[in-house]
Amino acid sequence: MTAIRLTINGTQIADDVPARLSLADYLREPRNLTGTHLGCEHGVCGACTILVDGEPVRSCLTLAVACDGCQVRTIEGFGSDPVMTALREAFHRRHGLQCGFCTPAMLITAHDLIRRGRAASETEIRLGLAGNICRCTGYTNIVAAIAEAAVAAAKGPPDAE
Amino acid sequence: MPNEAWGIGASLLRREDERHLHGRGEFVPDIKLPGTREVAFVRSPHAHARIRGINVPSDAARRVFTAADLPRIKPIRVETQAPGTKAPLWPPLATDKVRYVGDAIAACLAPTRAEAEDLAALVSVDYEVLDAVVAAPRDMRGSRHPVHDGWGDNLFSERVFESGDIDAAAGAADITIQREYRMNRQSGAPLEGRAVLAYRDWRLDEIVVYASTQTPHTLRVALGEFLGLDLRRLRVVAPDVGGGFGPKARLYPEEIVLAALALELDHPIRWVEDRTEHLLTAAHTRDHHYKITAYADREGRILGLDAEIIVDAGAYGLWPQGPYQEAAMAARNLPGPYAITNYRCRASTVATNKAPLGPYRGVGRPGACFAIERTIDEVARALGRDPVDVRELNMVRPEQMPFTTVGGMRFDNGDYPQSVRLCAQLLDLPELRTRQRQGESDGRLIGTGFASFAEQTAHGAAEFVARGAAIVPGFESCTARILPDGSLVLMVGIQSHGQGLETALAQIAHHELGIDPVRIAVRHGDTESTAFGFGTFASRSMVMSGGAVARASRLLRDKLCQIGAHLLQCEVTAVRCADGVVQGPQGSVTIAEIAKIAHLRMDGLPPGVDPLLDATATYEPGIGTGVFSYATHGAVVAVDAETGSVELLDYAVAEDCGTMVNPMIVEGQIRGGVVQGIGTALYEEIPYDDHGQPLAGTLADYLLPGAAELPAIKIGHLHTPAIATEYGMKGMGEGGAVAPPAAIANAVRDALAAIGAEVNETPITPRRVVAAIKKARERSPQVRP
Amino acid sequence: MKAPAFDYVRPQSLGEAMALLAKSSGEARLLAGGQSLLALMNLRIAAPALLIDIARLPELAAAVDGVDRVILGAGITHAMIEDTRVPDPSRGLMPRAAASLAYRAIRNRGTIGGSLALADPAAEWPAVFAALDGEITVASPRGRRSLNCAGFSTGIYETQLAEDEILENVRIPKLSPGARWGYVKLARKSGEFANALAVAVADPARRFCRIVLGAANGPPIVLAAASQVLAEGRSDPDRLRGAVAADLDRAADRHFDDFQRHLNIVAAARALQQVTA
Ligand SMILES: Cc1cc2nc3c(=O)[nH]c(=O)nc-3n(C[C@H](O)[C@H](O)[C@H](O)COP(=O)(O)OP(=O)(O)OC[C@H]3O[C@@H](n4cnc5c(N)ncnc54)[C@H](O)[C@@H]3O)c2cc1C
Ligand code: FES
Ligand code: FES
Repeated sequence: MTAIRLTINGTQIADDVPARLSLADYLREPRNLTGTHLGCEHGVCGACTILVDGEPVRSCLTLAVACDGCQVRTIEGFGSDPVMTALREAFHRRHGLQCGFCTPAMLITAHDLIRRGRAASETEIRLGLAGNICRCTGYTNIVAAIAEAAVAAAKGPPDAE
Repeated sequence: MPNEAWGIGASLLRREDERHLHGRGEFVPDIKLPGTREVAFVRSPHAHARIRGINVPSDAARRVFTAADLPRIKPIRVETQAPGTKAPLWPPLATDKVRYVGDAIAACLAPTRAEAEDLAALVSVDYEVLDAVVAAPRDMRGSRHPVHDGWGDNLFSERVFESGDIDAAAGAADITIQREYRMNRQSGAPLEGRAVLAYRDWRLDEIVVYASTQTPHTLRVALGEFLGLDLRRLRVVAPDVGGGFGPKARLYPEEIVLAALALELDHPIRWVEDRTEHLLTAAHTRDHHYKITAYADREGRILGLDAEIIVDAGAYGLWPQGPYQEAAMAARNLPGPYAITNYRCRASTVATNKAPLGPYRGVGRPGACFAIERTIDEVARALGRDPVDVRELNMVRPEQMPFTTVGGMRFDNGDYPQSVRLCAQLLDLPELRTRQRQGESDGRLIGTGFASFAEQTAHGAAEFVARGAAIVPGFESCTARILPDGSLVLMVGIQSHGQGLETALAQIAHHELGIDPVRIAVRHGDTESTAFGFGTFASRSMVMSGGAVARASRLLRDKLCQIGAHLLQCEVTAVRCADGVVQGPQGSVTIAEIAKIAHLRMDGLPPGVDPLLDATATYEPGIGTGVFSYATHGAVVAVDAETGSVELLDYAVAEDCGTMVNPMIVEGQIRGGVVQGIGTALYEEIPYDDHGQPLAGTLADYLLPGAAELPAIKIGHLHTPAIATEYGMKGMGEGGAVAPPAAIANAVRDALAAIGAEVNETPITPRRVVAAIKKARERSPQVRP
Repeated sequence: MKAPAFDYVRPQSLGEAMALLAKSSGEARLLAGGQSLLALMNLRIAAPALLIDIARLPELAAAVDGVDRVILGAGITHAMIEDTRVPDPSRGLMPRAAASLAYRAIRNRGTIGGSLALADPAAEWPAVFAALDGEITVASPRGRRSLNCAGFSTGIYETQLAEDEILENVRIPKLSPGARWGYVKLARKSGEFANALAVAVADPARRFCRIVLGAANGPPIVLAAASQVLAEGRSDPDRLRGAVAADLDRAADRHFDDFQRHLNIVAAARALQQVTA
């Protein structure tokens, strides 16, 4: 067991974790943040994507011990973030989800694309989603939803953070 | 009148979305029970071997369970009424023999999955390795070590379908087209794998099994049978399920083992399939070989079809339907939406040392569609005709409906040729032909291809009985219950895992009762709270469960009207139920008021009317042979003849699924299905080597379609309501996945027409494209692109 | 699919990391971005007893913009190069390669040092840095040494790194303003590993022309004959292809099948075309 301190969704936490525990399993099991999903555990599917220090990472390929001192943000931690709110609204209206398994990580990836200004065209959005598999929707509606949210985000008040 | 924005035909936004958008869905691995132990399985690394012994670490008693430790478990047995079929027994934990890589041998328990895997690594198994049966066409009649001892050959079943006079057709033909096609083995690969959590509830004296399944009720039946338990002692719950697509509509060894462990142990146990386990052991799919001979006249009219289909079904048949339906469905669907009169087909289902084959979106049909649609294009090419015209020429016409094909499919209605025309329009075919003639500036070759099909959906008892099915999923059920405050709960036997049935079924109840959809809850997936039903597969849930909801709602409506008329002091015939009220000539009473009386103030009930507003109804469509959706898909590709890469430039679907309850959801299902079909066409494959080792165990080897490689999918609708179903609905969940391999292969063929190359095997990989081009050039070296 | 048990340490300095590695007698592995190593461990293909986490070492995060070269610490991530958050000596080649590599979430953690040290035959950086004539600095308690990127990898997942050595940085000569490059990655999907990879660099002012083939069933191959054609400034496609074919004939030990050979020639020819066009 190794002692770590980290901030998860704004709350500071001190914990002891086994070295081999992935960040994904740490969040899902002891922290009960089950919105982070596991679809492959080898980096390809993207279902486990969350933010560490503001950047998307694969939580299946990140050790919890290595996140000592880090800021972790999961789907449960976006509160009323305006971009996330716009994305959720657009995914709902555009039918951008079916089974919902890919959805949290899709939203986080989309959030990052919009934040980095990489959601300006359909092509750009599609490339930006290359690392997030959705087995249900065929992507058309996800892409449309992100494009719509990107426009809404550009118009609306800037990201509070 | 139901509210237009909420009722049938409205794209009502989904009730399911909220929880998933906030990461609050509840999938099996999300459920936490104190004291849960995680399970990892010891699995065979060999495709075919005898087990000489299993060595369990001496301190691992009650932590490692082999078949010998769980004597209660009976081998899985598939019953079939179809003659001439073999049905091997399948011990959920291997006893004497392993028959595919991944076959489960022991269950290992530990506080965490990581530790369970550590433990599994300590179990050693002594194997006597046998020759693996890998090549179905070669080994079907026999092999050195047959998959199942005591069989002379490796055949699960073999059947000949014959109709008309194929020899006469051959004699009358102007041209003969012969081809071999291959649709390779793949995985279903929902994003969430399988998962099981089981525990004993001592208070209720039952075993509770949470499973990521599409079929909770039949899973319970199976667990009861193979564990020898009364069903009253079993409860199965499918919570949120992260995609199913067919593979989760079958019973698996792991489910039986976990339930058996729950009987043995005083703590919950959980098994969460990892991706490698999924790719190796969850139902595989496709794996069809075709040999087709088509006879046609000089117009392109197909006179006869002579076919051989071999399905490589893997080692066992999955319960309940066994391995047989794949080949039979392929054989019956091979004549496609065409009025072909002479047909002969031998369909063989072969046992090999590979993972068992099971259903996956489209079952049998994507292969059949690939074979017939590629053949139609070759007939057209041989005659120098446009494949679009040849398709139309051969198609069953609206005035011929209802029409029974040589494959025995009874089409109910629709304008099939119109779907071809609409699809060509969506792609702007004339414009494409011009672009094609002009050539691309980057040197790539453009091609357009089409594929049409009719999809049997919501088939009832007649169809399953004809198939010799062990169980006959010919109906669905709904219990509709109005609560004392007038809100409504629909308890249904299907399982919604992305199809939006929590929304669409509420729309139907709204249509019948006028209750605001936000006051309607749809409960599914739990054997405790729902009447028996078969679950969600075979494009059946909307039609079947929707029909049951309609009927149960009407039963409630009748009672509401009865009570309402009494309260309004008028004749029942003078009231109607709409907009949440019972409306009489002189006034109205709300459903909430009636509900209160039916529960809390029974003194207000009319004489002879019982309290409660609770109705259960079942539903089977008026035609047991199914109602047929149909569609034409069109693909536009750019092929890089040097690298063999195929880019999809455009994709369109022109389809007819009768009345759409929720068009938004329908289109979502189509697009999702299409992209899965694109996966079959271009990416997904689990090859096996000569020793039966699967060569795709991770998503780095098993490629799933991604957003970056896909165009937006266009959809055009035709509307021919079914006659035999409620509201004219037809099922449509699978169709999207049926035609893409054929449409894309035809498009690739079109692109490579000048070179004379064709790719008749899926997935159409760069390697296969380059090989096809090389072969064509060696045949006619003078042709250069 | 969970990693086997191991111990974990996060040293505070490169020196400390070197000392830990040296005394681990081969049982330890360095953990950089973990984007390859943790995947291999989850699959139980790799099972080190100790992980020495070097991801946050300041020495490995350094980026130095020198007069004629740029020095990039081993811990620089793919995303930092993609976003040009570190100096780019390659006039766009490296950001282009970075953007085509894996997915953003992986690029945010994966490092150039990890990629070079792993020496996956299909990886981008070994080929790109070889084409740019980069040099690698490796450090151990025994001292430092400098190795050419071309030749650093000695086989599939094999390099010249000794057990106690840490890859410290990569030194990449700056391309002259008139230099041109070509980059062709042929993969079945965006972000997947390459089926064929060709990187061509022509920098006449520095009299440097080189074309390198990655995804070559082993370390990247410097295509000598094709590099010569490039140096001559000729753009005759048939000659280019002939030269590449001749180079591939000399690489018989790679056992390319027909398709791979064909794809390699196509990739190399296209990279050369990009340079000469
Ligand atoms: C889904 C997926 C797709 C990918 N696609 C691509 C791709 O297309 N192209 C590509 O090139 N890569 C790809 N990668 C790999 C990715 O680029 C990795 O980041 C990279 O290969 C390893 O870098 P790392 O920092 O993550 O190293 P780690 O995984 O931490 O380490 C890798 C190895 O290098 C050793 N090591 C690390 N740093 C040092 C050092 N400084 N000195 C000595 N040894 C060291 C480690 O001990 C280990 O053996 C992909 C990875 C995934 C999961
Ligand atoms: S679970 Fe992490 S990428 Fe698939
Ligand atoms: S909605 Fe099911 S995987 Fe995306």
